[in-house]
Amino acid sequence: MAEPLTDATRPRFAHASEAELARILDFYQVTWRYEPDVFPIGWNTRGAVTECFAPDFYLPEVDLYVELTTLKQSLVRKKNRKLRCMRLLYPEVRIKLLYARDFKALMLKYGRLDFMDQVFSGNSHNGAQNGSQDGPRPGSQDTPRNGPARLAEPAA
Amino acid sequence: MTLHDDVSEILLTEEEIRARVAELGKELGADYAGRSPVLVSVLKGSIVFLADLVRATEIPLSVDLMELSSYGANTESSGQVRILKDLSGSIKDRDVIVVEDIIDTGLTLNYLLRYLHDRGPASVRICCLLDKPARRLAEIDIDYRGFTIPDRFVVGYGLDYDERYRNLPYIGVLRPSVYGGAEPES
Repeated sequence: MAEPLTDATRPRFAHASEAELARILDFYQVTWRYEPDVFPIGWNTRGAVTECFAPDFYLPEVDLYVELTTLKQSLVRKKNRKLRCMRLLYPEVRIKLLYARDFKALMLKYGRLDFMDQVFSGNSHNGAQNGSQDGPRPGSQDTPRNGPARLAEPAA
Repeated sequence: MTLHDDVSEILLTEEEIRARVAELGKELGADYAGRSPVLVSVLKGSIVFLADLVRATEIPLSVDLMELSSYGANTESSGQVRILKDLSGSIKDRDVIVVEDIIDTGLTLNYLLRYLHDRGPASVRICCLLDKPARRLAEIDIDYRGFTIPDRFVVGYGLDYDERYRNLPYIGVLRPSVYGGAEPES
């Protein structure tokens, strides 16, 4: 059963919506990890990784990655493309993308309309990153998972 | 102005619900013939479904109720779900059927299943009226499912918004204007 993290041990979330989802998971005692894995999804001709995808959460008890995207439409398209790459390269990985409408529905369900307004008024970034998640963030574990990730190794 | 005016669309009519609940009751009766399950329901949303389901199930059974705290605006940052009302009786070696009004994220049920399994039941199965799979985070194996519904905010037949609309006899989609136009974008 998940133990809630203290303020000192909580990760620095890139977006207030991520922090809120973490609180919900804590409330229902669902174990989660924040950005524990980075999946390479693009390589150059020398075999070096040029693009990665780091899902926001991993829920080990249900073996599910969760990616929150409460961003503007242009960034959602970019994230959708990355997700398609993920599903092609790592078909065994279960990942759920929560769009802005999904997050809004969660907030509605939990009576958190005030928070929803805050998130979508543009004042919700914690200032750590720009939220586009193009690659590994400082502090995240950047060890690729097994499988296709090993293709990232430059050819000998 | 009535409650009905706040509903933009009736998703499931009273007749559709009644017919499906009768089918579920028959299924339960057949599957649990010769046994005496205990139906465990979570307050408050499931009470209407539970009341109709038990009357559609023609086998000996018992009923127990639980209430869990919900995540919400007043939740402490370190808050965790709490049992506000526990089971009245033991479920050890009993066949348990969890009766739920709606399963969306599955987080509440995920917690509840762990709790129930720790009390040594002979079996646990899940019977839900509404399954909203688009919202699922915790995978749940549903044994008896009334309807699979689209990703809409629904009220009625026990389901509420801000404690209202539970007494609507049907399942309806709430008008966005009721909750400040904050309905998820389509």
